[in-house]
Order: sequence, then structure tokens, then C-alpha cells
Amino acid sequence: MSERINFTVNGVKKSVEIDGWEKLLDVLREYLNLTGAKRGCDDGTCGACTVIVNGEAVKSCLFPAKKLEGTDIVTIEGLSKEGTNHIQRALIDSGAVQCGFCTPGIVTELSVLFTKNPEATEEQIKETLSKHLCRCTGYESILEGAKVAQKKLEDAKTSQK
Amino acid sequence: MGDFKYIGKYYERPDAVKKAIGKAIFIDDIRLPEMLFAEILTPPLAHARIVSVDTSEAEKSKGVVKVVTGAQCNITFGDCVRDRYPMAKDKVRYIGDPVAAVIADSVYNAREAVKKIKVEYEKLPIYIDALDAIKEDAVLIHEKNGEYWHVPSYQPIPKTNIAMRYALIKGDVEKGFKEADELVEGEFVYPFGSSSAIETHGTIAWFHEDKTIEIWSSSICPTIIQEDIARTYGRPVSDVRVHIPEIGGCFGYKSDVTIEQTVAYIASFVPGKPVKWIASREQDFTSTLIGHGVRIRMKLGAKRNGKLVAIKSTVYHSVGAYADTGVNVTQAAIHTVGPYEIPNAHLEGFSVYTNTPPVGAYRGYGYQYPHFAIERLLNMLARKLGMDELELRSINYLSAGKETVLGEKIWKTNGDVKKCADNVKEALFTGPKPKEDDKYYYGRGFAAVIKGPKGTPNSGKGCYMKLNIDGSVTVIMGGAEVGQGLRTVVRQVTAEALKIPPEKVRAYMELDTDFSPWEWQTIGSMFTTQGGRAIMLAADRLIKQMKKNASYALKCDEDMLDYDGEFVYLRSDPSVRVAVTDIARGYMTENGITVGEVVQATSAGRLPRYSSPDPETGRGNLGVNYTFGAQGCEIKIEKETGKVIIDNFISSFDIGRVINPVQLRGQIVGGVMMGIGATLHEQLKFDENGKILNPHFSVYRFPTIKDAPTKQTVIYVETPDGVGPFGARGIGEHPVLGVAPAILNAIYDAIGVDFFYVPVTPDKIKKALEEKKAKEVAQ
Repeated sequence: MSERINFTVNGVKKSVEIDGWEKLLDVLREYLNLTGAKRGCDDGTCGACTVIVNGEAVKSCLFPAKKLEGTDIVTIEGLSKEGTNHIQRALIDSGAVQCGFCTPGIVTELSVLFTKNPEATEEQIKETLSKHLCRCTGYESILEGAKVAQKKLEDAKTSQK
Repeated sequence: MGDFKYIGKYYERPDAVKKAIGKAIFIDDIRLPEMLFAEILTPPLAHARIVSVDTSEAEKSKGVVKVVTGAQCNITFGDCVRDRYPMAKDKVRYIGDPVAAVIADSVYNAREAVKKIKVEYEKLPIYIDALDAIKEDAVLIHEKNGEYWHVPSYQPIPKTNIAMRYALIKGDVEKGFKEADELVEGEFVYPFGSSSAIETHGTIAWFHEDKTIEIWSSSICPTIIQEDIARTYGRPVSDVRVHIPEIGGCFGYKSDVTIEQTVAYIASFVPGKPVKWIASREQDFTSTLIGHGVRIRMKLGAKRNGKLVAIKSTVYHSVGAYADTGVNVTQAAIHTVGPYEIPNAHLEGFSVYTNTPPVGAYRGYGYQYPHFAIERLLNMLARKLGMDELELRSINYLSAGKETVLGEKIWKTNGDVKKCADNVKEALFTGPKPKEDDKYYYGRGFAAVIKGPKGTPNSGKGCYMKLNIDGSVTVIMGGAEVGQGLRTVVRQVTAEALKIPPEKVRAYMELDTDFSPWEWQTIGSMFTTQGGRAIMLAADRLIKQMKKNASYALKCDEDMLDYDGEFVYLRSDPSVRVAVTDIARGYMTENGITVGEVVQATSAGRLPRYSSPDPETGRGNLGVNYTFGAQGCEIKIEKETGKVIIDNFISSFDIGRVINPVQLRGQIVGGVMMGIGATLHEQLKFDENGKILNPHFSVYRFPTIKDAPTKQTVIYVETPDGVGPFGARGIGEHPVLGVAPAILNAIYDAIGVDFFYVPVTPDKIKKALEEKKAKEVAQ
């Protein structure tokens, strides 16, 4: 019962044959060899598999591959085309990267948050980060990194004007 | 002590960028040619005889290459007790025991096929708690208990479910209790939990046509795996190659041998093909290692003036279906009575087989349980004696010349627990606490901590160091980076020792037993201390070799030379010098003839005089390497919900020497958070069939950012250590130790209720408050 789906990943058009059982995470990791999104829980709790689907942060371990037709996907690889961006740099500098397994998901999540809501309050940032589990940091450095990233993005925007 | 150039400053982790952009390679990111995928069948009952296994339907399933059962499996394995099987042969002992496996061309096909295997079981009695398994009429979980090979110092009790009994005896405990004016006692329970790294366990095994075996694993113990697999398959150790890629968190349960033997057994049926198995989150809970499962009964006696005179404790440790990884944790749980000198002690521990997943290392390695008990008992004792609880502790603290329960004399270089306690006191107990209001009760709690390593007498860490042609240095060691940041420690310690900037030090990025120097295991918060010592020794040798080569160039004796990171020069006339870049491969004379040796060095570091325990008293020397600390917290309890909110959690550790302040704070803040999880949230629950009821992150809720303390305060004391590099000590596990007692002491302070079990969830607090109210009304 295979089916062909067409969608865009990191700006490149993809056409993939699927059996029907796959989730977006399976397609990315197993069919497209994009291993930046991580598999941590399989029930949408840890957030390590977060990618961007049509501008929204989505837990790819829950997103059925069947619904991919015509979508525009951005993964951590797509966000890192020029090395580290402001969010990644801020997280690194704040000590928020320890084992690093949750990091790609958090970078992706924050990227969507600050695109949609550049002036997110600390409460809103916390609310967003509460969709991600991290066992290493105790979250202090992640929150700090997110706030530094927000400021960096704001400064970058101001200097562009 | 501001005379360090690179120690005590922030440097970026060498793995940070790769991790942040998603390019770090973890076990599940590895793809090998012709790779096959395994799925493992586990039983619906935690203790049962296998009557029959029918694989015929599974063999016909799509994409299946091979179906494997344990029927012909005669392998036993283990590092401390060889009581484990890669696949069950005639019975299953826990819910994650491998019964059969399918090897297929995809994970999906393997999973679909596994469902088609039919197994008939005959149910046996199931024991979840050591207290049930230890009963005289209990059915044996291991009929062969006592017959398995084990480390000589362990004492199994045959024909019982007791895999090990261990006692630590100091002085005369009964005499001590007679001298005591006050006694306190309690039974404390730290139930099963999971280390729950975000990356699950995974292994790839490949039996090559040339009879060599290659393994990739998410483990922190490549050497142990290499030796165990070699023994199992009758190969020289050198023919087994173990690779360790990036590890997505460990916190204990990726140590020892866990799933590697099972995946290797499965792969041995398809020689020539690599076979991968990555645990699903559910399998990570059910089929790897879990933590804790400890019940500890403790009694403490003190004189009226607060002097502690006697302690007795019994530890009942539900170590699960296999004791190999749990026995050491039981031992560690009776190796300490907190940072106190107590002249009379009788501490006894039982590792008891239960029908639960094997218990293994969990951050804190046994030490959190006695800390939980004694720090709660001291809080209760202070009330009985009418003393301030910090004062009570203060007169009993270990310090230079005093003796631990193990019999080690504490050195001045072990640090200062009193200073740590004073820091917490000043930060927490100076002003009055807020008064109860409409919404909240308020409380403050304290705990003091100590931890040494749990190793083995010959445990140590190797180092290979080479000077490159441009003056940069490559350091290769066997320590597993799990996120704790040891690569940064390697860079900074090497940089300081060799007087070159950290940017010129390359730290190894993966482990490979073909190339990595020997390391026992990266456990016990020992890398900075032992590994750092190895680096210092190697750096010394490297400089010695540079001086030797320079002596040919400068035509003088080596002892007349000094080294500054860039040049080796004549001490009496620094203008007479040679650049290190000119002597990296020996010294080349004008006509090309080269003398001297390549500048490279090897070394290894271990702790001094680490011994096996005395068979009579259980006492011995664990290397006298300790980190002391004190922790405290301010909490409020929401009246309506019973929820505990931590306003400020304070930790002060005598770290010896701060190497990287950002990483150090990260270890402490993260460790405290893990302790909060165990104290207020986490518990693995089992039904009567031994099935885990909450093997998913959606139901095994470890803390999210919303559960984080409003503030964490971290204060360092720096009493230089005698072994660690530049005086630095280990810190990885220590931050979890005092969290449960500090919070439970604060809960008492807030509502006047003593809790003895964790986790203290809001419903338990609400219930306690209602009971208290009812009691008050009745009076």
C-alpha cells in the first residue's frame, strides 16, 4: 500500500514513497537521512524531534507522513545552513548544551516562537519550553539562553533597519 | 589563588557546535552497509517458565531475515555477578527479559514480525519488593544463586533470593546505644525510578567474517563490554572493537554491560551483517536498567550534648531480576553515614532478587539513600534534643584526622564541610522565614553531604598525549562524554599544565577501543580527579621529552632547561632557546640527521591505596577522595493543592578548584533538578504481574521547566584536593544527594509532618494535612 508524497524540506523538493505507517520523524531520519531531529520518547512528550511544518513547531514523532503532501518542512539542518544562528550561539554561550540530545528540538522550537512572537514574555518562553524535556541542565541555562537569543535577534533586526 | 591562566574560566565545550546544529553523531544516527534491524520480544509476566516458543509465523513475515530464541543459549554474563543471560532460555524473571528476537530489513518489519511469535508461559509467583522476595517461603528467582561467578568479596546466600549480604561494622553498636541519651529511628523508602536520559539505549553489533567482533553502543563502559564480549565468544580481547559515539545523557544507567550482550547474541546469528537495536522509550524503561528500589531502616543514638554515638541501619535493596549491576549500589548505600564521625556502627545490606528490571547505577550511586535517612533523622533528633539542627550537625562533622565509617582518616585536603554548611546557613537561615498566609505554608530545610567514588582497587584512567608539528597538542583518553563536559576539563587542564591556550588542545571526540587508552569506566564522579591526574602525569612526561630533544639542540643538560609553552630555553640565558615546533618529532640537525624521540606520552591515574573491603568488618580504603557539601531550600506549600514550590535551592560544595564555572554550575543546577524529580515527582509503578504502569514520558513525569526552582544559588569552597589536577574534585553526582532530605526537612518546617518516603506528591501532602487537622480537632 505504498504512496508517493511530495513536499519541501529545507528548501529542496522531495518525493518519497511511504508505506503509510510512517511518521514525519521516520521519513526524515530513515528515508531522507536527516538525523538532526532526535527520537526521545515516541509519544510527543520530550520535544527532541521538533521540526517546523508550514511555519509551526511540530513534534514529528506524532505527525503522520500521509499528511505531508505539499508541506514546507524546515529541520535543524535547514536552520544551520550557515553554522550556528543567534539561538544556537546563545544557548551554547549560556551553557545550555550538555549532552545535546534535546538541543536541536529546543533550537527549532525557539526559532518558531521568536519568529511568531519576537516580544514573547518570560512566561510565554517558559510555557513554550515546557514542551521540551531536558535531563541535564535543570533548565536554568536553557531559559537564560532563550532570553539572550531573543535579545540578539532583536538587536540584529534593529541593526538591519 | 588567581595565578591560573586557563583554569577557573569559561571555555566553550568542543562538542557544543555539532550538538547545537544537529550534526553530533549519536548511536541511532549511525548507518552501516547492509545494516539489519532487530526487535526483541519481552514477556507479559515478570516471572514465568517458558513452556513453548513458536516462531513459524514470524519467520514468514515480510522482510524477516532470522528469528532468534534463547533455546540454545548457554551464555551467562556480568561484570560483578555473572547471573545474566543475553536471552531467556527456560524462564523469564522480569517484564523486560528478552525471550526472542527478529532480525529484519527495517525496524518496522522487525516489530511487525515480533508480534507473530507465540509463547506459552507458566506463571510463577512475582515479587516486586525485597521484603516479599526475602520471605522464607518465597520461590527462588535464581535457582543457581551462589553458583554464579562473582567478585570474590561478595557473599550470596544460596537457596534464598539474597544475591549479596554485606555488613560494615565499626566499634560496638549495642554499647554505643546504651551510652546514648536519645534515640531516633525510621524506615525510609526510595522507590524505583529511571535515569531517563533523553537518548535511549542502543547498540549495533557486527560479527565479521574474519572472526573479529565490532560493537557500537550508547554505553559509558567500552572496556567492560569489550572484555565481557571477548570472554563470551572466546575471542582475544584485542579482537573485539567497541566504539562509543556521542551519548545523549547517562545519569548512571548506561554504565556496566546492559543491552550489548543481547544485541551481540542476536547478531551472532547473521555473521557478516551489522545488527542495530535502539530501545524505544518503553523498552528503555522495561529492558535496560532502572534505579533505586531501596528501603532503609536506620536508628541513630546521641548523647544529650548532641554527640552521635551509634548508628544501625539495614538496607533492603530490590535489585531486580539480575544482581550484576545492583550489588555495588547496595554496598555503596552502606559505605556512608553522611559527613559525620560516629564511633559505633552496624550497617547491613541485602541485595535481593525481585521480578523487576535490574537496578543499576543512578546518579548518586547508593549514597542518596543513607543521606536521605540520616539527614531526616538528624532533623528529628535536633527537635528531641531541643538543639538547632545545624549546630547538632556541626559538632559531629568529619574533618581532618576524624574517621569515616569505612575506617579512612579524613585528610585536610578532603575539604571542609563546615564551610559549606556555613555558606548555606548564611544564605538561607539568616532572616526570619515568611509567615503562613492564606495561600501558602512556608518552610526551610537543610542537609549536609559527602561522597567518594565507588570504584575498584585497580580502577583508573589512561591518557595519550602528543605534540603536533605546529605546537598544538592532541589528548586521547577513555572517558565517556555524556554531557558532563569532561572534554572541556581535558582541554583546560592540559592547557594549564602545558602553558598553551585551550584552543591549541584537541580533546578526543569519540571512544574506540582500538585507539582509546584504557579506562575502567567513566563513573563515580571520578574523571576530573583520576583523569586530571593522568593528564598532569602525561604533561610532565611530554615536557620531559621536549627538554630531552632540546638538550640535543642546545647542547646542554636537560636539568638546565625550562619550558614556557612555546620554547625550551636555557634557564640562565633564555635567549638560548629552541621552539617546541622544532623538536616535536625529535631534533633535526643541519644535515637532516634526527636525534631524540617523538614528543608523546602515556600515563594513567588512580586513587591512592584503594583496597578491597575486609571480609570480617566490611571496612577498607576507597581512596580517601571525597567532595563535601551542604544544601538547603526555601519552599512554600500551596494550601489548595498540596503542591511544593521551591523558591530557592542553595548548594555549596567544596569543589577544590573550579575548572570551568559555567559547566560546574550546570552540573550542580542540573543535579539538583534531578534530585527534585526523585523527591517530588518520579516513581516507576508496577502492577501485580510485574508490568510497569508508566513506561512513557507522558506518565513518568520528570520535571519540566515549570517544576524548576524559582532560583538556584550555588556557592563554592575551594580547599585544594591532594589528587585532582590543580586541586579539583569530582562533582557529577553530589548535587542529588541532599535534595530529598533538605526538601522533606523543609516540608516538616512548613507543616509539621515528617515524611519518610519519596516522592512526596501533592496528594500525599493534602492527605497528611487533612489527617493532621482531624487529629487536632479530635484533641
